[in-house]
Order: sequence, then structure tokens, then C-alpha cells
Amino acid sequence: MKILNALFIGTAAVALIAAADARAEWPEKPIQFIIPFGAGGGADIEGRLIAKAMSGVLGQPVVPINKPGGGGAITYTFVKNSAPDGYTVAWNSTSVLTTTNIGNVPFDYTALEHIGQVAQQPVPFVVKKNARWNTLKAFMDECKAKPNTLKVAFAGFGSATHMAGVAMTQLSGCKAIMLPVKGPDRRKMILSGETDAAVDIFFVPLKFVKAGKMKFLAISSGKRNPAAPNVPTAKELGLDMEFDLFRGLSVAKGTPQAIKDKLEGAMIKAANSKAFAGRMKKLKLTLAPMGQAQFNAKLAKANANIVAIMKKAGIYKSKMKK
Amino acid sequence: MNPDIIDGFTQATLASTLAATAVGCLLGLVVGMIPGLTISTGIIIVLPLTFVLPPDISIALLLGLYVSGMTGGSFSAILLNIPGTPSASATALDGYPMAARGDAGHALGLAITASFIGGLFSFLCLFLIAPLLADLALKFQSPDLFSLVFFGLTIICSFAARSLIKGLLSALIGLMILTIGQDPMMGTARFTFGQVNLIAGVHFLTALIGLFAIPQLVDNLSAAVRDGQGGTSRARIRRILPTLNDLKSIRLPVAIGAPIGAFLGILPGAGGPIAAFISYDYAKKLSRSPERFGDGAPEGIAAPEAANNAVTGGALIPMMTLGIPGDPVTAILIGALLVHGLAPGPLLFLERGDFAYGIIFSFFWANIFNVIIAFLGLRYLVKVLAMPKSLLMPIIAILCVIGSYALRNNFFDVYVMFGFGLLGLAMRWLDMPVVPLLLALVLGRPLEEHLRVSLVASKGEIDIFFTSPFSLFFLAMAGLSIFWSLNAERRAKKAARNEMESKQ
Repeated sequence: MKILNALFIGTAAVALIAAADARAEWPEKPIQFIIPFGAGGGADIEGRLIAKAMSGVLGQPVVPINKPGGGGAITYTFVKNSAPDGYTVAWNSTSVLTTTNIGNVPFDYTALEHIGQVAQQPVPFVVKKNARWNTLKAFMDECKAKPNTLKVAFAGFGSATHMAGVAMTQLSGCKAIMLPVKGPDRRKMILSGETDAAVDIFFVPLKFVKAGKMKFLAISSGKRNPAAPNVPTAKELGLDMEFDLFRGLSVAKGTPQAIKDKLEGAMIKAANSKAFAGRMKKLKLTLAPMGQAQFNAKLAKANANIVAIMKKAGIYKSKMKK
Repeated sequence: MNPDIIDGFTQATLASTLAATAVGCLLGLVVGMIPGLTISTGIIIVLPLTFVLPPDISIALLLGLYVSGMTGGSFSAILLNIPGTPSASATALDGYPMAARGDAGHALGLAITASFIGGLFSFLCLFLIAPLLADLALKFQSPDLFSLVFFGLTIICSFAARSLIKGLLSALIGLMILTIGQDPMMGTARFTFGQVNLIAGVHFLTALIGLFAIPQLVDNLSAAVRDGQGGTSRARIRRILPTLNDLKSIRLPVAIGAPIGAFLGILPGAGGPIAAFISYDYAKKLSRSPERFGDGAPEGIAAPEAANNAVTGGALIPMMTLGIPGDPVTAILIGALLVHGLAPGPLLFLERGDFAYGIIFSFFWANIFNVIIAFLGLRYLVKVLAMPKSLLMPIIAILCVIGSYALRNNFFDVYVMFGFGLLGLAMRWLDMPVVPLLLALVLGRPLEEHLRVSLVASKGEIDIFFTSPFSLFFLAMAGLSIFWSLNAERRAKKAARNEMESKQ
């Protein structure tokens, strides 16, 4: 424990020095860009791209650092405790709402201040190509008629795909067997028929849909996606929901407004840069840059939505230490 | 032809990938050669690099190291009678006598040639079997996968340990350590004691660095204090390239060693040392003049060297198609892939077929570079054997710290690494193997996930493990492997007792 204490004191000392620096013209030194997920994943690839583009705009290196763990808990805790000087930035995602509300950390999303959003993607409801359901309604009707027989796979309790899955099934009055399964295994389980359906991220199963091996029955977002224009939204199908997987920037609370504005400007400029926009298009992710005001409104709405879904599923703050 | 095969070949043949393969081979030869540095340690050295390099380049580097490490081990076995890696132990039996006779170059040439043929054979196995197995593995459902992983764990315990009980205990410790962190199904924090750093659990690469490198550093330090500088070979290296006659004489042992190595490589846990000894044994039994073995017979060098290099390609088969590692090196390869968001398994061939074939062809190039660099650079490479340990060991110690920090950019992991170092020392003192612990850390996750997904899907009915034919088959194999190793242990004990009695 002594070593840990020493470490904390050390970090605090560094933070103090950093705070003294903030008075000069920001940014004067490299910015740490903390990615809450492991290297090589979607969050990492997009994060590194936007960080690179932001370096160009800000004239200081924006250095990507992966701090994975706890569905983002490690990163958000780290950035929350960092000095509010704009030199430590979190590459946030829907996880900033899920990992907090499920209770992995003792704070909610308002413990951080949010700069804005860069991109978003819908969460699709996927089945095998030759499955007997051609519409979400057909699936949900069968599920309602025979509760606890159909299986729906998702990424893990409290994840964004779980939230979307719970919303879709519960709003339809369907009781499915929910299988928490990691990445590629989820796709494999659809192909092998082990699970009847899956709630997944958008662009990986899209490849299988294009290859004629799977089909999307619905997507979670409010608007149809140009990469799959024939797939209806859940809202169109009469489910009162709107859910996106988003990514953006957050900083520690108390960061001066001037610095936040500078970050916001740099982020939006970087997001619209040719390199980044091209990459997003290739990945079929929707580039949707928005600033602080708009993003905060979106977060408040999305947070209320997620709290409601979690309460319905009985997992709200379920990981909290009692 | 499958377009992925062409893409994979192109990817593996890019100048940058080839350069990485060559550097890996060079490092592998050096690391393999130095006694006290195993291939696992070599991989620890390049591990921090692989976090920043693109995945295809990292894998090419690691594969070069893996393949050449197996060959490099034979150099010190032949020249100094000290195997550079455990896999080269059998090579010393005939290699050193031949070198002592003044034929060091000849012995090394034979070892390199046999390694090359063994490696190429296992490349063919990998290239032909892996896609088929991946296709079959797509049909495996969670209960089948659970039983398969369980089978893998039982083999590891029985092969990796002299005593089955110690092997099982070691694996059990690994499984217990694995429960630290968020559980994979519900995300509930287990044994984290309120520590945010523990939510993500112990990363097996952190554990690996501690378990393998720290005891090795301590060993080397105490050896250096005890004996001063290690011995250098005075053997003169003259002719290296083997003659046509040599090639004829090693036909049979290589033909025995390569398939044995490839097959044992596929089985998890068996690995290089066992394959080398088994094929040495067979080559001796099938030889027309077995009495020459142990006295510098070319066959006695060729058989184990063909086998230990054939293990590499074999071990890549379950690693790539099922995500099940056969030895610590393939476990690290899985880790290196996962760091880049690529999960090895049957879907790798579907989702990233180009990448999967890229790995296979990088393995091919690693074998080619291995033989080229070994033949051309042999005279210079052996000079490394004279390198002072006092220089080498501090470098490795620093790289251990960097490696465990760079994994997640979290200094907490460095303490965890040292903790595992102490555990590794304790286990060595208790004569308990660390490989089962390490592989349990890798396999424990899929074991738990497949078990729990199966049970959720079946609503808690256990019979799904017995109704699926695949699952039933793997469970029967697991039972067989436990029974077999218990039996073998009993016989070994009996033989030891008889020997004691006959001595008295």
C-alpha cells in the first residue's frame, strides 16, 4: 500500500506542476489522449486517427494512450482525477454512460466535462440470412408466443449492445434468453445457428450482410443508415427508442472554458478533415461532429434513456459496492 | 484460388514484413543460442515493440523469433554442451560429441538443415490443415468449445509436469488468478478489493513476464556470482554446408522427426523438448547402427532438430483455428494478436482471411530466412556466446519493466509483474511447472465463457455437454489423457523404485 501511496503522491505532484503550466497559452505541451479500449479495436483506430488530425490543428502532439479495463472505468477514473488543464483528454463513447450507470465507478457522466461528439453508429439486430424471420416483428411475435426459447447474443452486461437489445426486446414484450458473448464468437454463433439473433456493432456484421450470410432486421438509431438504407429503424417499427453508439471527447471537471472551446474547435476541424472523414466513410460510420452544447443535450437524453433501460432490466447501479 | 491466399502471400512478402521476419530470425538465433535465455524471454524483449507496430509486422517479427529460436538453441548445445533452449537438449547428446571431435561446423550445418526441413514440413501441415480445421471449428458450439478447452487443459497438465498433481495444482492457481477482475458474463467485479486497476484482471502477458523472466534473471545472477563468466567454445568451425552424403544419411531421422514434431505441436502443452526426445528415441530405435548414437551420429542431431522446428508450425494450427495455444510462445502470439484487436479462432479465416494467410506465409518466410541467416552468419553469431551476462541481464530486467508497463500503460502492472516473479521463484523452489499456470490464464477465460454461455442457453441443463457428439468426444479424450498420465506416472514411480532396489 505504501508504494501505491507514493505513486499517488507522485501523480499529484505532476498534476500540480501541470496546473501551473495551464496559465500560459494553451496548448504548450503534448496532450494525452486516453483511449478506454485496447489497441486495434474500433475505438482505438478511430481514436488514433482523430488524435493525429487534432495534432495538426493544435500544433502540439496529441498522444494516444490506451488504458483499457472495466468497460472504460479505468480511463474515466483517470481523466476525472487528472488536472483540469485540458492536457488529459478521454476518447469517450457510450461507455461513459453505461459503465457509470451500472456502477463500475462511484460517479456518473457529469463527473466529467464533455467537449463534443465525433461519430456515431447504429446498433443492428442481426439474424442469419436463411433465418425464418424477415422482420423484427416476426421475431418478436414468435418470442412473445414462446417465451424463453429464442436466444439473443450481445457483447456483455451493461454494454451498449446490451442496452439496445434490452430495449428492443422489452419494448416488444419479448422474453428472450440473453447470451453475453464477446466479439467474433457472436458472429460465429449466428452462423452456426447457436444463437437465433444478435445485437451487434454496425460495421463488422455489415460485411457478412453484404456477403449474403446474415441480415439486419432493424437498427437502433433514429434515422436510417445510408450503408444499409433498406433496414428500418426500431422507431419506424413502433418501438419508442433511439439509441446510438457514439464517440467523442471528455475532460476533467473544472477545465477553463477557453481551453474547452479550443478543444472543441480542434476536434470538429479534425473530424471534418479529409483523412478522418474518408476513413469514417470506409468504415461505414456516420460522421456527426457536434459541440459542447449539442453533445451535452444529447448525453442528458441518452443518459436518461440508459438509466430507464437499466432500471427495467434491473441492472442499474448493480455493480455498486453496497 | 482463394483470393485470401494471394492477399496473405502479398502481405507477408511486402518489404516491411520481410524485414521484420528477418530481424525476428536474427534475434531468435541470438536468443536461442544464449543459454539461460529461452524463446519466451526473447519474445518478452520484443513485446513492447509489438504494441506499437502494425499487427502483420509484429506477428512476422514474433514468428521469425519463434522459428529461429528453435534453431539457435542447437548452436550452444553443439558447441558448449549447454542447450540454449530446453528444446535443444536432445541435440546436445550427439551434437557435442561431434563438435568435440573437431567437426563443429559439420554438426551445426546438419542441425540447420534438419531444422529447415522440419520447419518447411510443418509449414505445409499448417497451410493444408489450418483452413480445414477452421471450417470444422465453425460448427463447434459453446458446449463443444468448453469440452475442447477442458481437454486442452488436461493435456497441458499431464505433459508439462513431471508430476500430474503438481501440474494440476499449477493450472488451478492459474484459474484462480483468472477470477480476479470483471466476470466475463455479468461484469461483476470479483476479488478487486475496490481497486480500479484490478477491474480488468491480471493480463497474462504481465504474468508471463514475471513468471519466466524474473526467475531466469535470478538464476543467471546467482550463476554469474558462482562461476564468473560462462564458458566459451574453443571448437573450430570449418566446413558448415552439409554434403550430399550427409543429406542422404539424415533422410530417415528427418522423416521421423518432422511428423512427430508437427503432431506433438498440435497437441497443446507437449512442445519442443518432448518432441525432440521422442524423435531422437525413434531415430535410434529405427537406425541400422543405434550404437553410434550418443557418440556424434549425424542422425542424432537431425532427428531432434527436425522435430523441434516442426513443432512450431504444428503449434500454430490450434492457435490460429481454435484460439488455443500449444505452448507459451503461441500463447504470446495470441496475446499479440488480441492487443491489435484480432481474435484468433475460426472466424479469423472468415473475417480476416487475408491476415490469417498472411500469418501462414510469414511463417514460411521465417523458415527461409532462418536457414539463410544461420548459414551466412553462423561464424559471427557464435561470438554472441562470449557476450558477458553482466551486460545482458540488466537490459532484460529493464525490458521486463517496460514490457509490463507498455501493455496497458499502467504502472500497477509492473507491481503485478514483480509479484508474479516471486510466485515464479516459489514455484521453481517447489518444483512446480509454470507452464500450466500460464496456459490456464489464457484458456481459463474461454473455459468460463463457454461453460456459462452453454448453461445460460440450456437454462442450466448439464446434459448439453453429453448430447453434442463433438463435446462428448472431447470429454472422452480429456478422461483418456488424465487416465493415461496417471498411469504413466505410476509406471515411472515403479520403475524408479525397482531401480533403487536393484542398486541396493
